[in-house]
Amino acid sequence: MRNTVAIMQRELLSLFFSPIGYIVIAGFLLLTGIIVLVTDSFGPGKPATLRAVFDFTPYVLTIIIPAITMRAISEEYRNGTIESLMTAPVSDSELVLGKFAAAVVFYAIMLGATLVYLVMMAMFGNPDVGASLSSYLGLFLLGVAFLGVGIFTSSLTSNQIVAWIVGCVPLMLFVWFAGFIVGRVHGGLRSVLQRVNVMRHLDQFNRGLVTTESVVFLVGTAVLFVFLAIKVVESRRWR
Amino acid sequence: MIEVKNLTKQYGSVCAVNGVSFSVGEGEIVGFLGPNGAGKTTTIRVLTCFHPATSGTASVAGFDVFSQSMRVRENVGYLPESVPLYLEMRVREYLQFRSKLRGIDASKRQSTIDRVAERCWIKDVISRPIGQLSKGYRQRVGLADALLHNPKVLILDEPTVGLDPTQIRETRTLIRDLAAEHTVMLSSHILPEVEATCQRLVIINKGRIVASGTPDELRQRVTRSSRLIAELKGAEKDIAGGIRKLSGVEGVEAVANNGWTRVTVSTKDDLRESIYKLSTENGWPIRELRGEVASLEDFFVKIVAGAGEHAS
Repeated sequence: MRNTVAIMQRELLSLFFSPIGYIVIAGFLLLTGIIVLVTDSFGPGKPATLRAVFDFTPYVLTIIIPAITMRAISEEYRNGTIESLMTAPVSDSELVLGKFAAAVVFYAIMLGATLVYLVMMAMFGNPDVGASLSSYLGLFLLGVAFLGVGIFTSSLTSNQIVAWIVGCVPLMLFVWFAGFIVGRVHGGLRSVLQRVNVMRHLDQFNRGLVTTESVVFLVGTAVLFVFLAIKVVESRRWR
Repeated sequence: MIEVKNLTKQYGSVCAVNGVSFSVGEGEIVGFLGPNGAGKTTTIRVLTCFHPATSGTASVAGFDVFSQSMRVRENVGYLPESVPLYLEMRVREYLQFRSKLRGIDASKRQSTIDRVAERCWIKDVISRPIGQLSKGYRQRVGLADALLHNPKVLILDEPTVGLDPTQIRETRTLIRDLAAEHTVMLSSHILPEVEATCQRLVIINKGRIVASGTPDELRQRVTRSSRLIAELKGAEKDIAGGIRKLSGVEGVEAVANNGWTRVTVSTKDDLRESIYKLSTENGWPIRELRGEVASLEDFFVKIVAGAGEHAS
């Protein structure tokens, strides 16, 4: 546990030191800001809701989140520091969990910065705070699931760009093309796909519904991919 | 402290280490010597629990490297050949991070870091980002990291490669000091290094141990006889003839050089005193007289070439 915390602290230091960290946060905030403008959320006479922003953000996250995690483990491979970590009394799972925890904290900070829009809305109107917070929870859990996938792809390669792209593409399939894919299939396959349809789960959060199904699905995805990442890192020893 | 029995490590079809056995006793400094690609780093990686062996056993500080991996890692200080460091961190931050991983209590961390910084002469760069340091300093940071938890065993992979002569000397002194409190195993392909610091050598080539012993023992195995070099003033024929008459001389080669004669004498004995007496008896001024002992380098080249012949 102590090792996990130590690795998390170091990783956070590194994330905030490297330009990637700042560029990612700046990029994300810029995009969400533009979304607020483009959807005219603060236009006069409009309902006090950031719903449009919450609907659009997942599309952005499919690109931004793999960029947060891309250097997590691949950098250690590239640098050679994986050797000094694997020969220290640190287990491979502590290593991966520490990296994952740092990415989650980083994401929480990044997402938390957008709360300023909610506060602004509260100053000018009367937003449904419960639904907004539920949406934030949905976005947070979605991010956690995506971060799990990102950590996994980072463990696969020593090349950051490959880690980013291999993370980006499946996430885009699940978000950008979700509706399209589900619409094209029928019967049994359709109901299976609907269960893993991330956008459907998010929709529920946006309506203010925090369902066990959605929470378990998103957290479970994160757990699955972090577990796989640990296995990949362990397998490195045998090659 | 280190026991290796029949260690084999294969990477796919390549057998990097093939049935290697050796041991290092407590308090020894042992040099692990071999040409590039011999299997030194592979063996070291098995000992430090980075990779598991294909077969055979190894134990460090009494713990098996495969089944008691964590205990081994707690007792080993390892400096890898590439000296991997986080370039964006400051030296102090890096050492703090590593001491956390080593389980050093928060209250003792500062004093531990001060201690190793003092020992490795990195006190004046402790606040600098590692990316700004020279290779010599980075190597010392790596060594400081290996010393944080005061391990019983230090394993150093090519600790002086890439350093300038001053830095090499300093590192050598440091390693010799460390041997007083730790068991040290260092690997190198730089012979003078190993000769200067180690009490015992283990030579590996193409994945097998080809020789083991103290530097003196190994040197003696090169040739039975050693050579004497002398320069005397006088006629070549006379001098060569006179020396040949001495007992214990196996061969004499003489070269005339501007009135002086340079003689190379092959002999088992130390004939320096006899040659001196010869020179005074015959009135030949003498301006050089030294024994040329077979060097470790000769032994190394011979043994590696010999193993090469065996293989083919």
